[in-house]
Amino acid sequence: MLALALAACAKSYPNSTFTPHSDLGRAIDFLWGRLMFFGTIVFVLVEGALLYVVIRYRRRSEDIMPPQTHGHVVLEIAWTLIPAAILAFIAVPTVRTIFQTQAPAPANSLVIEVYGHQWWWEFRYPQYKFTTANEIYIPKGRTVDLVLRTDDVIHSFWVPQLAGKRDAIANHTNHIWFTPDSDMATTVWNGFCTEYCGDSHGEMHFRVVTVNPDQFASWVTHQQAPGFYAPPAIPATPATPAAASAASPTPATPATPVASPAQLASFILPRADVPNYAIPHTPLPDEVKFDDRLKGDPAAGEKLFVGAGTCNACHTVAGNALAVGMIGPNLTHVGSRIGIAGMMYVNDAPHLSRWIKNARIMKSGVLMPTLGKGQYDPQTKATTSAGLSDQQIADLVAYLQALK
Amino acid sequence: MSATVSHHYSSTGLENRKIAIWAFIGSECMLFVSLISTYLIYKGRSRVGPYPHTPWTDPSTGHVYKAILNIPVTSASTFILLMSSLAMVLALAAVENKGKPQRNLGERILGNSKLWLAMTALLGIGFLGFQAYEFTSFVNEGLTIKTNLFGSTFFTLTGFHGAHVTAGVIWILSMLAIDFKRGLGPSDALNVDIMALYWHFVDVIWVAIFTLVYLIR
Amino acid sequence: MATTVIDTTPPHLRPFVPSPVPATVEMERSTIWGWLTTTDHKKIGTLYLFTALFFFLVGGTEAEILRAQLGAPNRHLVSAELYNQIFTMHGTTMIFLAIMPLSAAFFNFIIPLQIGARDVAFPRLNAFSYWVFLFGGLFISIPILFGQGPNGGWFGYVPLTTATYSPGLHIDFWVLGLQILGISSLAAGFNFITTIINLRAPGMSLMRMPVFTWMAFVVQFMVVLAFPVITIALFFLLLDRFFGTQFYEVAAGGDPLLWQHLFWIFGHPEVYILILPAFGLVSEVLPTFSKKPLFGYPVMVYSGILIGFLGFGVWAHHMFAVGMGPVADSVFGVTTMLIAIPTGVKIFNWIGTIAQGQFKATSASLFAVGMVALFTIGGISGVMHSSPPADLQQTDSYFVVAHFHYVMFGGSIMGLFAGIYYYFPKFFGRMLDETLGKIHFWLTFIGMNLTFFPMHFSGMLGMPRRVYTYDSGQGWSLFNALSTYGAYLLFIATLFFVYNFIKSKKSGRPAGPNPWGAGTLEWTIPSPPPVYNFAVLPTVTSRYPLWEGKQADIESARINQQAGKTAEQLGIAIPYGTIKPLLAALFLVGMFGGLIVGHWLIFGCAGAMVLSLYAWLTSPLEPELH
Repeated sequence: MLALALAACAKSYPNSTFTPHSDLGRAIDFLWGRLMFFGTIVFVLVEGALLYVVIRYRRRSEDIMPPQTHGHVVLEIAWTLIPAAILAFIAVPTVRTIFQTQAPAPANSLVIEVYGHQWWWEFRYPQYKFTTANEIYIPKGRTVDLVLRTDDVIHSFWVPQLAGKRDAIANHTNHIWFTPDSDMATTVWNGFCTEYCGDSHGEMHFRVVTVNPDQFASWVTHQQAPGFYAPPAIPATPATPAAASAASPTPATPATPVASPAQLASFILPRADVPNYAIPHTPLPDEVKFDDRLKGDPAAGEKLFVGAGTCNACHTVAGNALAVGMIGPNLTHVGSRIGIAGMMYVNDAPHLSRWIKNARIMKSGVLMPTLGKGQYDPQTKATTSAGLSDQQIADLVAYLQALK
Repeated sequence: MSATVSHHYSSTGLENRKIAIWAFIGSECMLFVSLISTYLIYKGRSRVGPYPHTPWTDPSTGHVYKAILNIPVTSASTFILLMSSLAMVLALAAVENKGKPQRNLGERILGNSKLWLAMTALLGIGFLGFQAYEFTSFVNEGLTIKTNLFGSTFFTLTGFHGAHVTAGVIWILSMLAIDFKRGLGPSDALNVDIMALYWHFVDVIWVAIFTLVYLIR
Repeated sequence: MATTVIDTTPPHLRPFVPSPVPATVEMERSTIWGWLTTTDHKKIGTLYLFTALFFFLVGGTEAEILRAQLGAPNRHLVSAELYNQIFTMHGTTMIFLAIMPLSAAFFNFIIPLQIGARDVAFPRLNAFSYWVFLFGGLFISIPILFGQGPNGGWFGYVPLTTATYSPGLHIDFWVLGLQILGISSLAAGFNFITTIINLRAPGMSLMRMPVFTWMAFVVQFMVVLAFPVITIALFFLLLDRFFGTQFYEVAAGGDPLLWQHLFWIFGHPEVYILILPAFGLVSEVLPTFSKKPLFGYPVMVYSGILIGFLGFGVWAHHMFAVGMGPVADSVFGVTTMLIAIPTGVKIFNWIGTIAQGQFKATSASLFAVGMVALFTIGGISGVMHSSPPADLQQTDSYFVVAHFHYVMFGGSIMGLFAGIYYYFPKFFGRMLDETLGKIHFWLTFIGMNLTFFPMHFSGMLGMPRRVYTYDSGQGWSLFNALSTYGAYLLFIATLFFVYNFIKSKKSGRPAGPNPWGAGTLEWTIPSPPPVYNFAVLPTVTSRYPLWEGKQADIESARINQQAGKTAEQLGIAIPYGTIKPLLAALFLVGMFGGLIVGHWLIFGCAGAMVLSLYAWLTSPLEPELH
């Protein structure tokens, strides 16, 4: 068991709870180690004793009558007291850890308000006054105090490598706080919803990006800025991460994205630095067809966003006075995110276009309507008569992808 | 013990049904504990009125709802239910003592099981009448089971109890019908005893509800 | 297979000549009408057995579909909606329709035989319990065939299960179905409490009762005290869904945690309701195959009672992630740890029973030892999440799935299989095939570990529960593939069991009264037992009348082991068969169905149920004998 557990720490287990990267994670891991230690001892002793008696006292002849003992007082007292003593060694550090980890968070903590929605995550940074979705950046070495809320069903926030779970429950406000290690990598961690919350509970993921404090400050400045789409002169980010690294002229310095001077100042973890496990691999469903050769016009997309597409009824793009919808994810900087649809799909043109065309086939039960013309909507069980053409969707995708 | 030990042998000497009714009452306790706890947990957490003990002004209409609970009326109905328990005690005694000589008017009255059963049922019906009145007036004052947490928990708890009283009244009336048909005697004492246990239990639960819901603000 | 039967009678009982094993088995032929109207606890137990095994296969099939879907990342054999219905029904089926009624099969069949009674206290109420269970089981199971299966998880957390987030019929079926099944369990609970208190044969004091009956006794108390709580929780949900009340309505200030508390105040005792019968069965099997009384009988009894008590005080350990605060977390963490002590004592005493005995490996005893071995693992992982901070990493991950399957499958199911192999001869008068039985055991044991052990790793490596699929590259693919292969192996193992069961029931070796040389009362009577069970009510002077009994025990055993006499010849009153309990059950379920179909059905069925109850209560139970 232990050997396998140690093997599990290897790099191929990106969501392992055995390799914590925060104070809370290590406090839990300490208890886990103690539980594992005593558990292994009990396991070996009990299973060993059981195996021993079964073999040692196996029936060799039907004629032997064993001694008819009924019990042994000293033995029975002993095996009541010994487990009790072991449990004391577990209970004391347990209670100590409970009170340590559930104390109020330090005053200078980074506060992030987490709202669980069916089936995506909304993140608000009240100290910096901006909102994002499905992806948070946190600075290494600074305590982050997560304030968990929801207005619908119960969700639970879990980043296995950083902290344990905490539920988001309507009419309740919960907290969980931890300090990511200062010496950890600038990288991405997977997060999950771990309370069953309906149809697409299995696709309610998010990402946590741990960055250096200066990178965080730069990212915050960028997030606070209004959403804008880049002029056509700037090359768009290639569609897939594989293509990104292949097309990148200077793979040796991936930390420097190819971007305009304005964007250079704003830190976003480059796609090439996003580890494979953090990139969604959910395959495209066959049912939703889209002509991927279509070229979109972001300016036309912006008009559609607040016009025929009616995207603004649910989505906000800060800086666009018409786009202030509060139902769906805030899309101000959607182009910079790793994934879409609660991190179910990677954020690229083929996935985004099909998502806009028929979200309800792409992901069970979602609120996002089926927007493509002539599409079958599995919730209303009807085919849409009106809706967006493929060219219009391509325009929207171009606009959204430009919102870096 | 010989082969003549009948099917109705029992280890404790008690009748099966007597043990079963105690198990049933234990189970019922958990039912009411859950209901009462829910009421207490939700107490004061309704987002809109009307409220049990305090008036409430509807901010949108300006209408003033008075405090819902009418303690004097419910005190009267509580008294009636307690008196029904007393009548039930007398009914059981009358059934148990059937056949014993009745020397004077007092003993004849006390020995009349029909009278006491009818009295118990009547008092039970009286309690239900009070509850019907209470529910109707609450609805007229603007509190239904859908209005707020108080309405949901209050009507469910007291309604659940009322349903128990109703079942008890039907039970008593059935027993009364048997008494009129063939007369109840000491051999029926167990059946009346079980019914009485149930009835007293329902009364005791009401005392708890009356105290926790009505009296404690 | 040896066909000669060895005389396993203890030496001091040698003058007691056991009945010869009959050459063939006379099973009483029963018409379908006979089954529908039976009030015989043995027939009702048999009905429970068949029904529960059927539902076990249904729940198992559901599990196979879940595992097939999760065998590889991003696999879409079933849609997310269907997957959610299947996992909800897998849990609901296994808990309420397979394990509980399998235990009920043994309660019905074995308890009266173990305490020396001719039937349960209320034979017709017993029939009513069964029919309510059957109709309730069908009520909750059939909708999934039409894509309308319950989809809120077996725990049905609000507000997900309220009408706002789960419109449609799915949850309606679940709420009403569980409410119906609760009535069945409660009725059975009152019945068995009374039976055990009041129908023990002369001399069968509480501290002479077999441990299986003791554990059943504890379970019945837990049932009558825990089920009312879920009844109320479900009643609130029912009112919310059908009548617009606000109990779980978030907008009205309703608290989602109210449901969780009520549910787990029921739900944790329910876990012990599921496991204690298996503890009891193992406590019967191990002494018999070790030829030695149970080690530390009083402690086994007291620890069972203590588990029952503590079981009501630990419910919130299912809620360590909800943010109850440090004090509540500490209290519930420590009480949970305390439960490990009586449970550990039981495990040590089972080992003590085998020690210095003469352990014979049979299908029954292998399953019993397997149960002890696997339950130990489930117990250890249970202590691991009794520590609230540690549980924050474990809860709602596959680690928990691994834990409770070691308890429910490794504990309950293995123990119940031990019981089936042990008591099959008493049910049907024939032996299950030992070779097939041992194949079944080893395939189950290996398949079980292959399925559930890797889940410890998928969980600690970050895999959440109740996800219909998962992405590649998460480090979970290997462990999930192993789990899926293990599930396939369990499927094959179960085929061996089904074949063995059908074949042996028809043509297995005749068993005789006491094929295992066991010591308790149920083995003093023919297999299958006559309708009256005991020709004379036995007199009991010890815990193992056939091993340690005095003259009186042996006298009654000598009479009772003989088959062939009818109840009339012996002058024993047997309760009449009657269809009224079935009718009452049918109309009761119809009443609940009326909430979905239409209110006319409620009133129609209510009237019909009152009439059938009236007919039931005014008709005599059994003939008057003079």
